[in-house]
Amino acid sequence: MRPLKITLALLALSLSAQAEEFRWAGQTDPQTMDPHAVSSAPVLGFLNNVYEGLVRRDAEMKIEPALATSWEPIGDGEGWRFVLREGVTFHDGAAFDADDVIFSYERASSEQSDVASWFAPVSRVEKVDAYTVDIFTTAPNPIFPDSIANWMMVDSGWAAANDTTRPDKDQGNYATLNANGTGAFRVTDRQPGLQTVLEPFDGWWGEAEHNITKATFTPIQNPATAVAALISGDVDFINPVPIQDAERLDGRDGVKVIKGIEARVIMLGFGHDHETLNFGADEGAPNPFADVRVRRAVAHAINVPAILQTIMRGNAEPASQLVSPAMRGYSDAHAERPEYDVERARALLDEAGYGDGFSFGLKCTNDRYLNDESVCQAIVSMLAQVGIEAVLESMPVRNYWPELREDAFDAFLLGWSPGTFDAEHPIRFLVATPEGNLGTWNFGGYSNARIDELLPAIQSEIDDAERQAMLDEAAAIIQDEMAYVPLYVQPLVWGARETIELVQRPDDFFILRWVRVN
Amino acid sequence: MLAFILRRIFQSIIVLLVVGLVAFSMFTFVGDPIDNMLGQERTQADIERLRQQLGLDQPFVVQYWNFLQNAAQGNFGISYRQGRPVAEILMERAPATLELAAVSAFFAMTLGIGLGVFTAIRRDGIESNLIMGVSLIGVSLPTFLIGILLIYVFSVELDWLPSFGRGEVVDLGGWTTGFLTTSGLKALILPAITLGLYQMTLIMRLVRSEMLEVLRQDYIRFARARGLRERAVNFRHALKNTLVPVITVTGLQLGAIIAFAIITETVFQWPGVGLLFINAIQFVDIPVMAAYLMLISVMFVGINLIVDLLYFAIDPRLRVGKGKGH
Repeated sequence: MRPLKITLALLALSLSAQAEEFRWAGQTDPQTMDPHAVSSAPVLGFLNNVYEGLVRRDAEMKIEPALATSWEPIGDGEGWRFVLREGVTFHDGAAFDADDVIFSYERASSEQSDVASWFAPVSRVEKVDAYTVDIFTTAPNPIFPDSIANWMMVDSGWAAANDTTRPDKDQGNYATLNANGTGAFRVTDRQPGLQTVLEPFDGWWGEAEHNITKATFTPIQNPATAVAALISGDVDFINPVPIQDAERLDGRDGVKVIKGIEARVIMLGFGHDHETLNFGADEGAPNPFADVRVRRAVAHAINVPAILQTIMRGNAEPASQLVSPAMRGYSDAHAERPEYDVERARALLDEAGYGDGFSFGLKCTNDRYLNDESVCQAIVSMLAQVGIEAVLESMPVRNYWPELREDAFDAFLLGWSPGTFDAEHPIRFLVATPEGNLGTWNFGGYSNARIDELLPAIQSEIDDAERQAMLDEAAAIIQDEMAYVPLYVQPLVWGARETIELVQRPDDFFILRWVRVN
Repeated sequence: MLAFILRRIFQSIIVLLVVGLVAFSMFTFVGDPIDNMLGQERTQADIERLRQQLGLDQPFVVQYWNFLQNAAQGNFGISYRQGRPVAEILMERAPATLELAAVSAFFAMTLGIGLGVFTAIRRDGIESNLIMGVSLIGVSLPTFLIGILLIYVFSVELDWLPSFGRGEVVDLGGWTTGFLTTSGLKALILPAITLGLYQMTLIMRLVRSEMLEVLRQDYIRFARARGLRERAVNFRHALKNTLVPVITVTGLQLGAIIAFAIITETVFQWPGVGLLFINAIQFVDIPVMAAYLMLISVMFVGINLIVDLLYFAIDPRLRVGKGKGH
């Protein structure tokens, strides 16, 4: 009996240790392998499998130790001290230590870097010993460790030897096509736009949860082709699945659909600082959106549950503020969103002197957010019910931002995913009065003195309760003033073979080390 | 002959320059590449700086002139998106497109001429009518629909052929080929059919009608009367005389095959220059778009030139009748 058992056990062992090749497809190819050259989700998401930062995010988006084992504030909020993990090596065999952290800081905060803004609060970085680093900030910065989860460590020796001590996004250099991280996977073949092959790194410091021996990524642009490739078994995983195909795909044998919500909130913005309307039949008339009652009327006129039910096929969740409930600093006290109430909307318009309605121009993307154009069309017909005529113009995103920058809108659709997963982020980019680094995506020029006062205070408040109180106040102002009309949190729909186990993170990053092929 | 070639080459260069000018005047409408190149944290100052650095603040004529100056030195610029020389990227992608186009063209020619002759000789047979009927599908269905249909039938339902990509390729010193592996050959089938179907039906219908025309001619009747074998009449005498228009159309269609490959390549995620171009549009990668458009126009112009020269070779009347205003 016993030998049989042992044989079975051995058999099981050899089976589980079998070569498990994993193939996946995404819509965009990560355009570079350089972790500091481009700050975009496809690049950072992909490179999270290859490079690592001092901290990383777990399946629930919480910060956990990675190349640093622990961290603590220095003194009275002068900065943060990170204790580094010992015995970590890069893919080329070089050891990781404090010098690499200093170098990675210099590289990532350099002028050529696309992620330099992460280090705007940092005054200097100092090596204490080989495995301790102090990062000093100009003001107390409670969320600094949260904000550097995607700051990836590059080996100083490797960078010097290959002449890539600075990223070069315009001309490209060695790090554009080659990678040398400390992560669980190393790049063994990189063909930009065609395929990228990853293999597990034997010398990884962590315990491997995955059972992959080789992972191949192929960009597939056409969603229909990606779905066909998944069904036919040519790939094991695709991201995203077109929302209209999700149900059909779920019903097929051998494949499954994984749904969740993303960090991205879709909202409607207004031209707050416009004197007059720029589009529509009332072009040149005074801007009605300067009146908060009109903005509130718009909020009440849009039937968000209906949009979610029909266009999003029940996959999204309504949003009450500029961040989703999964984000740090979300205001529980302001979780109510304006109800769908046509009568109330009409009354508000009447009060504001627009009882007969008006006509304005609504700008919208048609290739940026899930079903964005359909959502805008629905909004147009909903606004028509309260007597407002929205003249819709939708365009590809490559034309969209320049239009918004030139103020060519009366109202617009916008999606926002906070890079730091914190409620402070949209306040800084969307609500603060535009100036320098602040309000850089506040196309409508919304301005509120109290918000501008609260923002620096929020940024430097160490005490969690105090900080939340200020975030709540900001959320209240934004809601009250209806600076934006938050609509819904965008859904996340992935597709995989039945045999694949994986973890879906709300930032839409696909983390290979959590994948198991059964 | 030489004067003719020189004149054609001169005309071709003018055509190329105009194509380039039109292309550059259009790029502003494609969109703004800046937002794709800078992250969420960009400021207005970053935008201005990058715009200046890339020369996008210049009028398009100046941009075009700079492009021409560099292109004349063999420098097609650096891709905004990939940060690599455009020439290098195009060279990487060209084999995929050329192999696909070659296989499609071969498929379209052999099957097109074969079926054309067949349907002409047996003009009233059931098979001929069936082929003609089915060929209507090839002419009328859009390429991407045919592609999706083929994927659905042969990859999803039957699971015989891969749904996307090129399969395994072998690198022969800068030229990657899919001809040498089973998966590479299998991957070629569906895209080649998708790409070549329209051309095939076109050639088939053209050969058929030309054949029918020629078969009515007196010399064919005399050939029959002389007791020549049917095969000799059909292929040596009739087919040969239908070839002039067929070569014209096929030549021009070869250019079309490479240019239309954009759609087929997108449907099958075929890693050729067409897919590269679509990507470039999406990200407003102006250097790649410019180089691709110039490459395609060079190709079209070149093919036209070759077709003209082939006329000389095939049709003796053109040589004799030179200057007589035929």
